[in-house]
Amino acid sequence: MSASPMLILFGSESGNSEDLATIAEKKAKSLGLTPSVKGMDEVEVGDLPGFQNILIFCSTWGEGEMPDNAIDLWEAANGDSAPSLSGCNFAVCALGDTSYEFFCQSGKDWDGWFEKQGATRLLDRVDCDVEYDDPAAEFTTNALALIAASGTGGATSLEEEQPGEAAEKTADAPEETAAEADSGDLEGLLSSGDRSLILLFGSQSGNSEGLAAKISKDAKSYGLEGEVHDMDGFDFNSLSGKKRVLIVCSTWGEGEMPDNAEDLWQFSISDSASRLDGVYFGICALGDTSYEFFCQSGKDWDGQFEKLGATRIIERLDCDVDYDSPAAEWILDALPALAAVDSTGHFHEDMVDAIKMYASGASTGAEGEDGFSMPEVKSEPVQASVTVFRYDPETSSTGTDTWLCSLPGHMSVMDVLRTLKTSQDGTLTFRDGSPDDSNTAVSINGRLVLPGLCRLDSVAPMRDGAISLRIEPLPGFEVIRDLAVDPWSLERKRESSKPWMVAATREGAHTPQGVMGTMDPAIATRLHSMRDFCSQNILHSSSDAVPHANGYLGPAVIASTWSRRSDPRTSPSKVEEIDTMLSSSNGIKAETDLASINRQSSVPKAVSESLLDAKNSVLTGDGFNGKHGKHVWWYTWTVKSSGMVNDTVIYRQALGPFALLGNLFSGVTARMVLGFTRTGGNVFNGMLGMVAPPAGIGKMPKQLNSSVDNHHEVVAIFNEMDGRF
Amino acid sequence: MALKYAYHPGNIAHSSATEVSQTMDPTARSLGIDLYPMNGATSCGAGIIRQANDLLQVTLNARNFAIAESMGMDIITPCAATAGNLNEDLSRLRRDPLLLEKTNEVLERTTGLTMTGDLGVHHLLHVIVDEIGLDNVSQKVRNRIDFPIAGFYGPNMQQEGACGDDDVFDPQYLEMLIRALGGEPILWESRTQSVGVPGLFSEEATVLRQIASTIGDAKSEGAAMIVSACTLSHTALDVYQGKAGRATGISTNIPVIHLTEMLAFAMGHYNNRLAQLRTRIAVIGD
Repeated sequence: MSASPMLILFGSESGNSEDLATIAEKKAKSLGLTPSVKGMDEVEVGDLPGFQNILIFCSTWGEGEMPDNAIDLWEAANGDSAPSLSGCNFAVCALGDTSYEFFCQSGKDWDGWFEKQGATRLLDRVDCDVEYDDPAAEFTTNALALIAASGTGGATSLEEEQPGEAAEKTADAPEETAAEADSGDLEGLLSSGDRSLILLFGSQSGNSEGLAAKISKDAKSYGLEGEVHDMDGFDFNSLSGKKRVLIVCSTWGEGEMPDNAEDLWQFSISDSASRLDGVYFGICALGDTSYEFFCQSGKDWDGQFEKLGATRIIERLDCDVDYDSPAAEWILDALPALAAVDSTGHFHEDMVDAIKMYASGASTGAEGEDGFSMPEVKSEPVQASVTVFRYDPETSSTGTDTWLCSLPGHMSVMDVLRTLKTSQDGTLTFRDGSPDDSNTAVSINGRLVLPGLCRLDSVAPMRDGAISLRIEPLPGFEVIRDLAVDPWSLERKRESSKPWMVAATREGAHTPQGVMGTMDPAIATRLHSMRDFCSQNILHSSSDAVPHANGYLGPAVIASTWSRRSDPRTSPSKVEEIDTMLSSSNGIKAETDLASINRQSSVPKAVSESLLDAKNSVLTGDGFNGKHGKHVWWYTWTVKSSGMVNDTVIYRQALGPFALLGNLFSGVTARMVLGFTRTGGNVFNGMLGMVAPPAGIGKMPKQLNSSVDNHHEVVAIFNEMDGRF
Repeated sequence: MALKYAYHPGNIAHSSATEVSQTMDPTARSLGIDLYPMNGATSCGAGIIRQANDLLQVTLNARNFAIAESMGMDIITPCAATAGNLNEDLSRLRRDPLLLEKTNEVLERTTGLTMTGDLGVHHLLHVIVDEIGLDNVSQKVRNRIDFPIAGFYGPNMQQEGACGDDDVFDPQYLEMLIRALGGEPILWESRTQSVGVPGLFSEEATVLRQIASTIGDAKSEGAAMIVSACTLSHTALDVYQGKAGRATGISTNIPVIHLTEMLAFAMGHYNNRLAQLRTRIAVIGD
């Protein structure tokens, strides 16, 4: 068979392109083609017309320059004697690094030159970043398939390749790979080329506008240049030339766009709207779950952008009226993802985590918004044993990793985690953020904390000259990976509690500023202190009942709701609704032990006291009926009666006959009666066990207690403090 | 010289946990602790009376403090719930002069007593480690309790200011004591968590899961026995373990004894009970 000539040409500085050319040669041979592989310094420009198919692999060096072995050929190609290449097919695979401004410039130059000389492009040029393996392999496969299908890939017209050449090239590969990897510069990605982020807000009340402004400010930390635009008057078609777009849009009325967004929306769904291929976008929708068409505007924008060909880089966030916290968390994921889109429109998904680390490291010190800075008290290094819970969702496997390290005592636990991630295990996953970011909370030796606010040398006791930390995700939440938990279970519970204010119509007070609503300062302070918990996630996790009581709303929701219940502005109907919720099976009665909440230092006393108030209110409102109410009532009653607890009375009154019967068959009663078989104690505890069994047998308590000394004093206290008992 | 304490036995040592009161006396004698009964003392409220009327529980405990003050002694108790509740109320009365004044008014009007807050409330465990010393304890050991033992604290006693010099969340006292008695302490995560006793009768399904989870944790770490510093939790973990196991499918069979029982056995009291315990661990597993 007389095959047409085929040339695989490489321009290489470190050897990557040469390596790819060698791989292409092997693939071509496996397809029955007979290619010739040549470096660009091994051919003359006048040789090129002798080939019917030319595949070019070329890297870029420095500031968009040709690699050393390609310089001469490039100069000759741009000389006066450049040949015509009509009838020649070509394809270019360009290697480069997006962290450089002139990304893949050499490949682009060759691509343009071959076209200019009349050659026919077999397929579009492929521009590869430092991770070039997959895109280059795809390019090679596609190009060779086209050549093989055309039957034009043939033998070389140049001198035969020297034996052993391929082997030498392959041997060079590890060195060049390392060199290429070194050039993967994160800061380059975040600082080169177009870094604009278009922020469009559709706002009726100003919330979306404020949030967009905040995102724009935050974007600087990710190397992005936020441009905030009012949707009103914005040129929709200008988006087609952008790479990153983020929309913050509220919903009005019955799922309608806010006033300033309506015109842009109408244009976007018209035939005049440009395609948005190559645009990466994210949507933050603001709404109110009390409306039927919750976040409808955001959903509309989300669907329309997708329809126009844009790529969703992060799932849409639908926010309820309290949008601050979820929006802040969403931003921590949205901005790094958008920042990983380079100026050519390539999304570097593998760099998102590194960008998060980069951005979080950018925050320095403890600067407050008022400009006040806390001095950092430095301390000597301490020996630390850090054990971190690990969970891999792909294999559903759990375990722990332990690192023994020497770290500065003043280092925050968050910084410890960051250090472990950057220096030990890049897969370690935790929620990063500012020191007071409530979403970063973790459990350290059972203590629920914000790791950015905890110094290493004060979070656990020093024992035998070392600190031992056991870092785990917050209990009571689903774990996503390692220390990162899914807060949405709590958000859903909060949403189900309908936390918004429904105010009563009130008489305004006459003030120098006019008639307005006022509040007693003491009440205002009390209301504030009830909700003054640093992290609702921590408060939720502080209950030991939460992981075991499926529907329980949890202390965070209860505390917030009780605060609303205690607000004098709340309407009577809302108060009634809250009372119903609090006294339901998932309300405060589902909390089995407030002691676990009280002991968390991250939970202010005022908050745990408000939970006790809520419980007291519910039990009183129920008239101490139901098992819970009866338990509390009869416990208190028996103490009044004798000064001591009478287990039998509580057991009988709280459980009732059916539950007692149940315990008889479930083995509880048997274990009580047969308690002597385990303790080794007496079968009968006094005469009672013989005359009124099973009371007084084994661990069965007596039916009657003798009174404590001066029992009348106890009765007098009860009569003075609470006449109900 | 013997340590002298006003003794509060806790809420159920007189009823469904008589083994605690039975073993506390000989243990105290062996350790050199003189226990003086607080005649007239009432239940600490266990955090339950508080749910009906917060100030009622505070006032009842103020009376308990007044009784101890009149005896000129600190209070000792073997029950973590009692230690926790008494400490919590004492702390409130100390830091809130208005509350103290108001409470004393009621107390004086109804009982003729008043309190100053100048006393301490201690759990037996903290007295042993902080006052007696583990070296002294280990010298008194007659029977080594040589099992893998999971020490259970519960949440009530593990409060800031209520657990001696021990850490609230990562305590060591019980483990150190177990080691001093010849045992092998197990480190497990659930040792300071609540088993939900205040909700036992009303939220039984949740509490059974809490109990099963706690016991399951101890067993998975290799414990042959659980020793509880809390009388209420001890009773729940012991009596309800079978029901909790059936409700959750978690293996919950394990001997659960109280701290005072372990101490009494180690000090050479009730050798027959220790022999029975060894049989339970070695043969029955329950």
